[in-house]
Amino acid sequence: MRVVPSELYTNLIADLQTDRHNENQAVIEASSGQSVNTLSDNPLAAGQLVLNRAQMADVDQFSYSVSSVQGSMNSADSALNSVVNSLTQAVSVGTEAAGGTLSSPELQALAQQVSQIEQQVVGLANTTYQGNYLFSGSAVTTQAYTLDISTGAVTYNGNDDSNQVQVGEGESMAINLPGSTIFNASGADVFQSLAGLTTAINSGDTTSIGTAIASIQSALNNVIAQRSIYGVRLQELGADSTNLGQEKLTLQRNQTGLIGADEAQVATNLSQAEVTLQAAIAAASQVSQESLLNYLK
Amino acid sequence: MGNLNGILSLASQALLADQGALQVTSNNIANANTPGYSREVPVFEEAPSTDEGGVEYGEGMTLAQVNGIRDEVVELGLQQSLQQQGQINSNLQSLTQVESLFNEAQGAGLQAPLSQFFNSLQNLSTNPTDLSLRQSVLSAAQTLASAFNQASAGLSQVQSGLNQSIPQAVTEINQLTGQIAELNGQIASDEGVGTNPSQLIDQRDQLIEQLSGLVGVNNIKASDGSVSLTTTSGALLVAGEESYALSTGPTPSGNQDVFSQGQDVSSGLTGGTLGGYLQTLNQGVMPAENSLDNLAANIVSAVNAQQQSGYDLNGNAGTSLFTPLSGTSNAGAAAEMSVVMSDPSQIAASSDGTSGNNGNALALANIENQSLAGLGGQSVMGYYSNFVTGIGTQVQQATNQQTAQDLVVQQLQNQKASVSGVSLDEESANLIQYQTAYAASARVVGVISQIAQLAISLGSSS
Repeated sequence: MRVVPSELYTNLIADLQTDRHNENQAVIEASSGQSVNTLSDNPLAAGQLVLNRAQMADVDQFSYSVSSVQGSMNSADSALNSVVNSLTQAVSVGTEAAGGTLSSPELQALAQQVSQIEQQVVGLANTTYQGNYLFSGSAVTTQAYTLDISTGAVTYNGNDDSNQVQVGEGESMAINLPGSTIFNASGADVFQSLAGLTTAINSGDTTSIGTAIASIQSALNNVIAQRSIYGVRLQELGADSTNLGQEKLTLQRNQTGLIGADEAQVATNLSQAEVTLQAAIAAASQVSQESLLNYLK
Repeated sequence: MGNLNGILSLASQALLADQGALQVTSNNIANANTPGYSREVPVFEEAPSTDEGGVEYGEGMTLAQVNGIRDEVVELGLQQSLQQQGQINSNLQSLTQVESLFNEAQGAGLQAPLSQFFNSLQNLSTNPTDLSLRQSVLSAAQTLASAFNQASAGLSQVQSGLNQSIPQAVTEINQLTGQIAELNGQIASDEGVGTNPSQLIDQRDQLIEQLSGLVGVNNIKASDGSVSLTTTSGALLVAGEESYALSTGPTPSGNQDVFSQGQDVSSGLTGGTLGGYLQTLNQGVMPAENSLDNLAANIVSAVNAQQQSGYDLNGNAGTSLFTPLSGTSNAGAAAEMSVVMSDPSQIAASSDGTSGNNGNALALANIENQSLAGLGGQSVMGYYSNFVTGIGTQVQQATNQQTAQDLVVQQLQNQKASVSGVSLDEESANLIQYQTAYAASARVVGVISQIAQLAISLGSSS
């Protein structure tokens, strides 16, 4: 085989360029901590990365939705807790009135207490969270209940809808119960029963007071039952939040798996590339400058 | 019977031939590093013998010709591999620019603005009456639109860069074919009178190699030593002393096409930088622009349609969020994407007209995961993910081809050098050989001269 010097140099330059390229690639991987730095490094992984990142963004949003729903539900829950306390108080006022032996002014005072409790409960039913009425269904900008002071009549202005919020992939949750199911359930209407008790105490008729207490009791039971729905959902949200945290971790691990560099591998590649490059440079410097021409005298 | 004069002319002929050989060797040494130079070898020939009195006497030798050493098969192979290399290199260069526009591995691209937009709607569903959440939907929509605008502008830039490069490549091609045609003429006339056009052939080979880097050519050698060149699509470039210029002109798509003698020869034109430009335009940039337009158009129409089936904060029927598509085709949708809505209360979050209802906000957010008929049944993110993989795969293939092709070219260049390259060792040995031969012939002249002296003084008194 005829070998001419020009060949030697072309090969050397090509090899040096390959070695430099490998070294460069290893340095990029080591410094970025990523084995995939361009789409072409691993097109499939790059495509998967897009989906993985989108999923991570969704999970972040779901976590954010969960905590925002938790906020409104917690405040609904504590409002209903106060309603339960108020109704319990109304029951004890009624019981006191039913005891007989009370003078008319004393009965009036008790009736006054009950109507104050009713006003309190109306106030609680109009609780807002971030400016939205919690118990007016989806009509969150409409005040849920209005109280006509002269007649004592309480009117529901909201609707019977509830908003669903997505709290996970394909997982939705109703974030509110309309006031109508909490305060105006048939046979367990909070405001009607409170108004009934006021009337009964004013009349001083112990039988009708007893009936009114029973109806408050069933309204109270309904409120407790509805509140427990919030309790259950809040528990679910807590679990969702934990799950979303786990999912985020899994997705982060996926991302590392897709494009992360294996540090040991990168370090090995880098030192290998450097050794090869040095060897090529050494070889280049030792290429003989001599030819037979040098010995012609 | 030999005679002294005969011997003397034989020796002086040998001196001339050796001198010629020394000149060839010196020329080889001088051109050891000249690109494209093919080494030459002196061809000695025995002089015809003479018959004197029934005895055959050899009459020495002459330098019959000087041959350039070249392997035409290797040269053709090299030209073809240079054509492929040129195409791969220019294709890869432009594709890399496209790749960097969507380099999700470094966080560039559309995934983030797409996620941001749909999640802003998801966020709005938690509190549909909140004006600041509504405002962030509008901002995210604007960010998304400008991300599409930028990606589209980036692709257009690559496209117009290619369309500027195509006429430049064609100008270079025309210059080269002109020079090759001129050399063809000189080579043919040299061959005609029997002189050796080795240097001219070297020059022409060099020019054809350069031309091969620019465009794919078919090379047919004629008996008079000239070559005919055509493009891979059959358009004539050089025939004998005539060269045929290529020209360029815009097509309805706005891209530059290549014309030969009035005919569009772009389709089927492969090889070289020019082939690479056309390949990137037709197989890389234009499909990417179409996909991007398609994605933008489908998002615009899906979001607008969903907007129109809901109600805004004031209970009015929803209107378009994005500027509706202008034409029937999706072309230009990514470049023209913009937000037409300015009042955040107009976002149709409600599905029943109640201001606090979030049904339509959820529906808008869920467009992200819907399979859209216009995207071939894929979701927005699925379609974009495939788009990204597609671009990455194109660049990866081109990179692999480049690595392989570089090796092929190197291999053929080595083969060519191994046949035609100058070896200083070899030339030095030749130098010694011809020097020795020259010295020997000179010695013969000296000896004959002495003998002649002797013959002249034969019979003289001294």
